[in-house]
Amino acid sequence: MFFNNWFKINDKKYLDAISTAGVIGLHMVSATVVGLAMGWYLDRWLGTKPWLTGVFLILGIVAGFKNVWLDSRRLLKAQDKEDAEKFGPKD
Amino acid sequence: MAGGLPHPVLWSTLLQVDQVTIGGATVEFKHVFYTWCAMAVLFSLGLLVRGGLKLVPGGIQNVFEVIIGGLEDFVVTNIGEDGRKVFPLLGGIFLFILFQNLLGLIPGCDAPTANVNTNAAMAVFVFLYYNYQGIKRWGPGYIKHFMGPMWWLTPLMLPLELISHTARPLSLTLRLFGNIRGEEIVMVLFFLMAPIVGTIPVYFLFLLGKVLQSFIFFMLTMIYLKGAFEHAH
Repeated sequence: MFFNNWFKINDKKYLDAISTAGVIGLHMVSATVVGLAMGWYLDRWLGTKPWLTGVFLILGIVAGFKNVWLDSRRLLKAQDKEDAEKFGPKD
Repeated sequence: MAGGLPHPVLWSTLLQVDQVTIGGATVEFKHVFYTWCAMAVLFSLGLLVRGGLKLVPGGIQNVFEVIIGGLEDFVVTNIGEDGRKVFPLLGGIFLFILFQNLLGLIPGCDAPTANVNTNAAMAVFVFLYYNYQGIKRWGPGYIKHFMGPMWWLTPLMLPLELISHTARPLSLTLRLFGNIRGEEIVMVLFFLMAPIVGTIPVYFLFLLGKVLQSFIFFMLTMIYLKGAFEHAH
């Protein structure tokens, strides 16, 4: 039964991988949303209607992609570590 | 409760604490009540384990030692020795959210994390805490974490980092809320279709989902703390 494995320490590896993979999507969306909201409220505050919204939306999208990139690098690093344990270090 | 669907029966309704009036304003109190339930369970388990602490662990002490020891190893391999300083908070967050989530599986109880306020409170706390740790560690130099790898990239990186840091509590809140609330709704639906029998199979799926969600919250908090501790690139 997989219940027995839940509290085993070695399986943290899998839990870690699943979590990192599951996190990626929302990280991208939330950065975009925050960028949009920031631009929207700055526009309302400063009265520069469409400009800051667009700029901050683009910044938010870029930040979202940066998050995705960092998360995938984390996944790849874990994968490399596992491979190194199995097949010896990369040359 | 769950999306307008009636929850079959709730202890909080029986005790009449669904809504309370504080200073003339009637506020939703269900999630606070169930948060207190989770806290009561954790406190009594903690006192129980502490009361019967033995050199050769057995029973419940064994379970706790395995969970906490495993999490501590995980934190220390990821953050390094600094991890031991913040481990009480990280382990506390994991156990707290785990028990809050699992409360949703107990008949007559509702998961407090299915209310967005509980999650927002925890996410904002995590946000403030890792920034506090970063400022404590680096002083004014903590700003370097927001400025990117090269000095001439600063005008670009500063807003980017600001946005991605502000997005963190939002994504923490929404992920936990969406998952747990969705599970509660599906559970009520299954219960309406086939009472008792229909809910048993989804119990196992949701047990996995709830443990996974609490682990994700814990792991993200750990990653943020790691980012605050390590040297700016």
